[in-house]
Amino acid sequence: MARSGSRSNKKKRGSWRWLALILLAALTVAAVYLLYLDSEVTRQFEGRRWTLPARVYAAPQELYVGLPLPVAQIEEELRRLQYRSSDDPSHPGEYRRRGSSIAVTLRAARFADEERAALSLTLDADEQGITSMRGAQGQELPIARLEPLLIGSVFPIHGEDRIILTPADVPPLLPRALKAVEDRNFDTHHGVDFLAIARALWADVRAGGIAQGGSTLTQQLVKSYFLDSRQTLGRKLKEAVMAIALERRFSKADIMTAYLNEIFLGQDGSRAVHGFGLASQFYFGKPIGELDIAETALLVGLARGPSYYDPRHQPARALARRNLVLKEMVSQQVVSAEEARKAAARPLGVVTRASGSYYPAYLDFVRRALRRDYKDQDLTEAGLRIFTSLDPRAQQLAEKTLESELSRQDKTHKLKVGQQPLEGAVVVTAPQSGEVIAIVGGRRVDYSGFNRALDATRPMGSLVKPFIYLTALESGQFNASTIVQDEPVEIELSRRRVWRPENFTKQSNGPVPLVRALAESLNLATVHVGVQIGLPKVADTLQRFGLTRKPQEVPALLLGALDVTPLQAAQLYNSLANGGFRTPLRAVRAVLGADGKPLKAFPLEVTPVAPADAVYQLQRMMLQVMQHGTGRPAYSILPSNLTVAGKSGTSSDLRDSWFAGFSGNHVVVAWMGYDDNRSTGLTGSAGALPVWTRVMAGLGTTSWSAPVPEGVKEVSMEYASGLAAEPNCGQDVITVAVPASVQLPVKSGCGLDRVIERAGEWLRDIIH
Amino acid sequence: MLPRELKSTRPTRFLAVALGIAALTACQSFTGPLPPQPKSHQPASAPHSQTQAPSTAPVPQPVPLPPPERKAFRLSAASSALVSQAHTQAGGGNPAAAAATLERALRIEPSNPLLWIELGRLRLNEKNAAQADSMGRKALALATGDPNAQAAAWRLIAESLRARGRNDEAGAAQQKADALLAAPLADEEAAPVVPYTEEVLGVAI
Repeated sequence: MARSGSRSNKKKRGSWRWLALILLAALTVAAVYLLYLDSEVTRQFEGRRWTLPARVYAAPQELYVGLPLPVAQIEEELRRLQYRSSDDPSHPGEYRRRGSSIAVTLRAARFADEERAALSLTLDADEQGITSMRGAQGQELPIARLEPLLIGSVFPIHGEDRIILTPADVPPLLPRALKAVEDRNFDTHHGVDFLAIARALWADVRAGGIAQGGSTLTQQLVKSYFLDSRQTLGRKLKEAVMAIALERRFSKADIMTAYLNEIFLGQDGSRAVHGFGLASQFYFGKPIGELDIAETALLVGLARGPSYYDPRHQPARALARRNLVLKEMVSQQVVSAEEARKAAARPLGVVTRASGSYYPAYLDFVRRALRRDYKDQDLTEAGLRIFTSLDPRAQQLAEKTLESELSRQDKTHKLKVGQQPLEGAVVVTAPQSGEVIAIVGGRRVDYSGFNRALDATRPMGSLVKPFIYLTALESGQFNASTIVQDEPVEIELSRRRVWRPENFTKQSNGPVPLVRALAESLNLATVHVGVQIGLPKVADTLQRFGLTRKPQEVPALLLGALDVTPLQAAQLYNSLANGGFRTPLRAVRAVLGADGKPLKAFPLEVTPVAPADAVYQLQRMMLQVMQHGTGRPAYSILPSNLTVAGKSGTSSDLRDSWFAGFSGNHVVVAWMGYDDNRSTGLTGSAGALPVWTRVMAGLGTTSWSAPVPEGVKEVSMEYASGLAAEPNCGQDVITVAVPASVQLPVKSGCGLDRVIERAGEWLRDIIH
Repeated sequence: MLPRELKSTRPTRFLAVALGIAALTACQSFTGPLPPQPKSHQPASAPHSQTQAPSTAPVPQPVPLPPPERKAFRLSAASSALVSQAHTQAGGGNPAAAAATLERALRIEPSNPLLWIELGRLRLNEKNAAQADSMGRKALALATGDPNAQAAAWRLIAESLRARGRNDEAGAAQQKADALLAAPLADEEAAPVVPYTEEVLGVAI
């Protein structure tokens, strides 16, 4: 017995030992596991280096006396940046308009070339523009600028985007509101709030399902780190352990800051909006420091379910949620009942994201420009700041104009089932700086698909003609009044093939002055001129003006058998508009690192590529395209005192409809065509010109004007005959520029007597 | 249109021109290729008549044109402030920021030759003589009618050429600058000839 007893004792003792051993092993495993969780979460917290997508900014609006922007438009610019009206605009982001006067406190801003503190100023403006501008002390302020509009970020597919907040950036109301709603005992608990869990469980039992979380902010942070939303018990336990570990190692303030930057608050296409900094911009278009109580409450409410409470798609739910948050804020004495009542009466105030607010076609150009210098990873992760020359007003104008003109064309061109719709593209540049200020890549501006402005290579048609005529003027053999033959021509291409170009009208006009041949885009006359001066010279002119490859020197080049993209056409015309100075088109002004250090600038470069006198003569001829030629319909919309120059282009079988031209400070290129290259049935004047005209009319542009270069004089001549005549003598008298040595034959009856009369008048003027 | 320009009427030259034309046309009345025309009574007040009237005359030699419009380019208040800022930035060893500031001014006044000269001087300081030369030529194209600005542009071109060892061309450009400043503009109403020196332009060389 004893033996057996001792044996059984031994056995008992043995099983205890085993048990202890197993327990010890389990404890060790648990301890190791805890240590592992602890190190894991610590590593995550400390090593959290958010990858920051590059941010892309539009050109900042300059303010100075003489800026030709009426007061209403200045206010509109402020509203675009979400400045709010206030009786006492002493805080950044506030303005007050009284009639023609605007007082505003501009926000602190980082520009490409400097950092600027917040700045108060008062300006007066009339319908013409700003008439005076003064600083806070009443001192005259020569120039100031609004902060640049953020137009987008370069982020990887399905990437996280955020604006990192430092504790100093966070308005005190935000963490207090968050604690009131999400985690009342945040300041005292050790990572897990058992009371809250119990309360939540009780609520769940009553509700018959899981409705409330009871997770602390710390737990939510942990959950967000590991991106796992499975609601299993094991998962919950793991979160709790990690939360406790975090709380043991880090201060409450650090955890709060991490939470504010980490949490997911919305989805914008493929971009995930993380953190309150970006959420403030995403929903309200302004910095977090400017949020009022209602706006803060909405963001706090979103933390629980950004898509369920999405204020853009579920406004009713979002409003109810926001007001519930306000109620909680009152019960936790974060705000007074009165404040909450007022806030609850406010609308959601979420900014509408106008279609195309991301300007994908323009961003595409920016990305390509940067690809030469930066790896994709630099752009999506390194937090670069990219300053561009985009003009949001011009961009929106170009988008809307193209869209409405395409839909107008749709009504007259019935599509067959399965056919692709008519498409188009617009490029707007500033000629003297070569800055691209707007790009539209197709009718769906919000869609970053095929970017026609950059990638549709299409025959340029008659857009090539100014370069032929410029070459002719440069040769010295031609001037605007030179008579050229608009007669049928045959050019032998090979032994068996003969090229017989035709005019668009299929008719020939006989002898015409050069200026008319250009204005009316006469093909036969152009071929005569081009053949005389030679294809290699024409090809050379195109390359000088910015064509990056050598065009094929075939006779059809004279009628535009040369494929270019709208952007390349804009480059060529930009050099023309810039008086024969080539300036590479650019969209990026500067790139700053995440630390604000300038990394790269894209400075202005100019290269003279043609003699000023020849370019001036050509520009004067291009004005006649608008006055007498294919561009004439433009003046049904453009004011008659706005001097612009341009040229239409139409490719064979009306596949492409082009119009390109310039004013004093803008170059606009418009294109229309089908992606599958079928005929549009539109000439350049019928399709692209209305787009071009409306964009030009809306830009608030200035007239073309240039000083008459040395060696050139301006003369009056008859448009049809090329004979010298004064306006009150000849028919349809135009002004052209010719070399100073050229004497035009004078129209019969417009000769000497007129000169004598003029001389007599001068004498009279001097005597009196 | 250039907002800030000074016009000098210079009646003496007007008189000379008018007399010259009268004399020429008097000669022409014997040899003119056209039959005499009935005199028109329409007032000759066409907007372009000033420059066109003489050029339409079918005379073998060029008719003296009315005196060219004389200009004196100035910087607007905004540009002026930016140019000062650019000088400070350049002086502080930050030419990139200075260039950015000058470009800012050029966006406001793209047709002001003085700003192109400023930018060209900055490029020259950065040893980018080719761009300095181009900027000088851009300025020159815009400076028509303002001998001071033209001279400043030629000087910039001259220095840019010299920096590249093209001394003959540089000499020729310098001569053009000197000739412009020495041009006989004795009449009192002409704008005072103040050569643009580095001091006036302010860019430290």
